[in-house]
Amino acid sequence: MRSPVSTLSLSLIGLVALLVMPWLVTSEYYINIASQIAIAAILALSLNLLVGWGGMISLGHAAYLGVAAYLSIYLTTQAGFGHLTGALIAIGATTGLAMIFGYLALRASGLGFLMITLALGQILWGVAYRWSSLTGGDNGLGGLKRPHPFGLNLMDPTTFYYFVLVFLGIALLCMARFMQSGLGQSLQGTRDQPRRMHALGYNVWLIQWLSFVFAGFWGAVAGLLYAYYNQFVSPQALHLTTSAETLLMVIAGGTGTLLGPVVGAALVVILKNVVSAYITRWLILLGVIFVVIVLFMPEGLVPGARRVLRALKNSPHTDKDADVSSIVRDRTQ
Amino acid sequence: MTISALEVTGLYRYFGGLPAVRDVTMRIPAGERRLLLGPNGAGKTTFFNLIAGDYPPSQGEIRIFGQNVTRKSANQRTHLGMARTYQIITLFPKNTVLHNVVISLVGLRECRFNPWSDLRRQTALWDEARATLVLVGLEHLADQTVMETSYGERRRLEIAMALAQKPKLLLLDEPLAGLSADERQDVQRLLQSIPRDVTIVMIEHDMDVALAFADVITVMQHGQVVVEGSRADVVADPKTREVYLGQ
Ligand SMILES: Nc1ncnc2c1ncn2[C@@H]1O[C@H](COP(=O)(O)OP(=O)(O)O)[C@@H](O)[C@H]1O
Ligand SMILES: [Mg+2]
Repeated sequence: MRSPVSTLSLSLIGLVALLVMPWLVTSEYYINIASQIAIAAILALSLNLLVGWGGMISLGHAAYLGVAAYLSIYLTTQAGFGHLTGALIAIGATTGLAMIFGYLALRASGLGFLMITLALGQILWGVAYRWSSLTGGDNGLGGLKRPHPFGLNLMDPTTFYYFVLVFLGIALLCMARFMQSGLGQSLQGTRDQPRRMHALGYNVWLIQWLSFVFAGFWGAVAGLLYAYYNQFVSPQALHLTTSAETLLMVIAGGTGTLLGPVVGAALVVILKNVVSAYITRWLILLGVIFVVIVLFMPEGLVPGARRVLRALKNSPHTDKDADVSSIVRDRTQ
Repeated sequence: MTISALEVTGLYRYFGGLPAVRDVTMRIPAGERRLLLGPNGAGKTTFFNLIAGDYPPSQGEIRIFGQNVTRKSANQRTHLGMARTYQIITLFPKNTVLHNVVISLVGLRECRFNPWSDLRRQTALWDEARATLVLVGLEHLADQTVMETSYGERRRLEIAMALAQKPKLLLLDEPLAGLSADERQDVQRLLQSIPRDVTIVMIEHDMDVALAFADVITVMQHGQVVVEGSRADVVADPKTREVYLGQ
């Protein structure tokens, strides 16, 4: 049996830990890493919407991160837009891009869907790389100053961290609501029984497309924050490895859960930043860790940890059948 | 002339050059109980799939309540008042029995596009789903997952999901298949209790059940209609005998 109390209290402990973190960890370096994790978590949450609840595996999710980042920097540093209008246009246009990409990618499903998202992502990467007059090519675009919303000084790492945390909180709230909403439930139905959903009156294509656009919107939000954080963007933001890393975060943390993508984002960002300082071949380490996760917790870290905890709790009087069914039920929640 | 619930003209469906449905023409008046008989592979399920819009016909026209739906998608047809069950049970196994019925209800409501409001709080929806379960005698299983239910209970849930949508045209694909004698009686009683204004087309093998249920019987073989008429006519027709003994 799963007790909702422990889940709630764990979430509260996590929240408090996130809030007091800057007081405990005074090093700017680690506060910046925490900001990176939060931004990556928003991107991973948005991809999780497709992968976990929609069963649509995309290898092109960096598109929304990169395009929103490029647009916001270009608009504010070169086209003379203010921060707010620049941000709104960047997010709006990137969401519009998701409308088009969703239209194209949803002509296929499964592997076809994956290949189309991959191809579209690669096209954008190519454009960013080649169209140097607009994108700065390999050198990327820089020169962005972080905005001062409501008089906040976002140049201060701690302030920026809280700023990003607010967005992560809103993203988590929206995802939690989405998951239990009519659209979210419909999306999960189209993942499990597309044919039946059609026959029940659901426009499967439209439901998937709306969800795709919603995911693209949150990808754009992550991209905007990414631009503010780095004050710079290069084709790397649009690269396949960025998409793959994001997918890794989702799968490692646990698809179809709320906390999974956040944990996955923390894992990947910490490995990338901290471990890479000591081990040059950190990608190999990441690969090894991923293989270990897939072998021992194929459902991902968050659901896997829940399973282990439950097994420990129940070990004196194990009821195998009940255990199995409750795992499966958990996964659907 | 009253409007037909279902009107099919010159319907064909080929699978790789082989016709599964061949030149079927059928008119079912509103409120009729129609039975579709025929040996395995006769094309009955394919015929249902064409009516429901799973795939388009190779040729021919389909009208539901007078409206030409040949080019309409499955979900659009459902919104016109059509519902179906599947020969091969198609449920959401990890969800509860009650949740399955709710998914069915939401299919016809605007809230299926709402990304924000919590479905669990829409009590009217869950009450209605529960009432449907009472109707089919599954209310005691409401909170179990489908995986925990028996085959017979799943068959009834299939019917509950269709009934929940309050269809005007109901397609039942072998709703009694694989049930025990007791279960068959339960389901038969359930089918008898469906209001008379609902048009029902049912595929069923069992002649006895069939005869008790149907106003008109259509016998299919090799994708074609072989015999059609009242119970007495169909039973008396030598071609019926041929189809059943010749298989
Ligand atoms: N999707 C499909 N692809 C290829 N052949 C099919 C398909 N569906 C049905 N058939 C063929 O069409 C014929 C009729 O099948 P079906 O409609 O299921 O018959 P029934 O329901 O009367 O038993 C069979 O020969 C079957 O093999
Ligand atoms: Mg059949």
